[in-house]
Amino acid sequence: MHDYSNLRRVLLEVLVIVALGVVMGLSANLKLVFQVLQGSPPTTHSSDATAPAGDNTPRPIDLASLRRSIENSSLLLIDARISELYAAGHLPGAVSLPLDEIESRLPAFRQRIPGDRPLAIYCNGYGCPDSFDLAVKLLAAGYQDVQVYEGGFPEWRDAGLPVVTEKAP
Amino acid sequence: MNSLLKYLYHGSRLLLGGLFLFAGFIKAQDVVAFAGNIAAYQLLPYQFNYLLAACLPYIEIIAGVLLLTGRRVRPAALLCGLLTLVFIGALLSAWMRGLDISCGCFSPEAKTSIGEALLRDLGLLILAHFSFHLRNRFTTPRASR
Repeated sequence: MHDYSNLRRVLLEVLVIVALGVVMGLSANLKLVFQVLQGSPPTTHSSDATAPAGDNTPRPIDLASLRRSIENSSLLLIDARISELYAAGHLPGAVSLPLDEIESRLPAFRQRIPGDRPLAIYCNGYGCPDSFDLAVKLLAAGYQDVQVYEGGFPEWRDAGLPVVTEKAP
Repeated sequence: MNSLLKYLYHGSRLLLGGLFLFAGFIKAQDVVAFAGNIAAYQLLPYQFNYLLAACLPYIEIIAGVLLLTGRRVRPAALLCGLLTLVFIGALLSAWMRGLDISCGCFSPEAKTSIGEALLRDLGLLILAHFSFHLRNRFTTPRASR
């Protein structure tokens, strides 16, 4: 019952299917491919219904650029996760601003942080849309330089970088 | 017995083709979100997540259509099997590294079950196996590719 006849031909046809798929995939997503090759891909949640049109979309920042920005500028890290997770461990210097408490906490936040301060927002990694949604809200609130660190807390922790834990009260 | 195998072959081929066509179609609708899903596995450099997300749905669509239409069934089934093996490898590596594949935004306990995904992939492998190996029994040699 196990039929391996013409295996070489079958493998060749597999390669042809893959090549066809690559050509179709790249041509169907030409704009995205160009953005990626130029080093400015869209954030992975930019196609959500919450995303506004036009230039009001936050830019992504990867781990290496994030570390450079932390050292060289006044970049403020913002943790979009719930406060329990923030307390359990967060990036050094990060400020907690949970997405579901944004309405009540935004006025105080705006008084403390000027609108031209560069911000980088993270949550629980690539599967988590909260950092993007929070970035959209902060852009709408008048902050000019808002980036999303999509790797988030898991990538930072798994890279062996320092994590700050709040002591229990 | 022979007719039973015939049903098994066509059933496997049509189900496998339908699943791959469906999966490819869904992912082709939102390539950027799919890139985010791939990135969560932390297996590829940043840009490659996007390129793979752009191409993989179309490879799945082509393989699915070939299986459904009964043309080039053996290469299409082999490709589906190989892709499934890659998915299994990625899942296992994510599981061994203890990665947070799920969101965990609101409840830290919410996890997608890796066991469930592995079981589904095992089913795909079985379908690909029957499609590949039973193909030449029910077709004339001339069209037996």
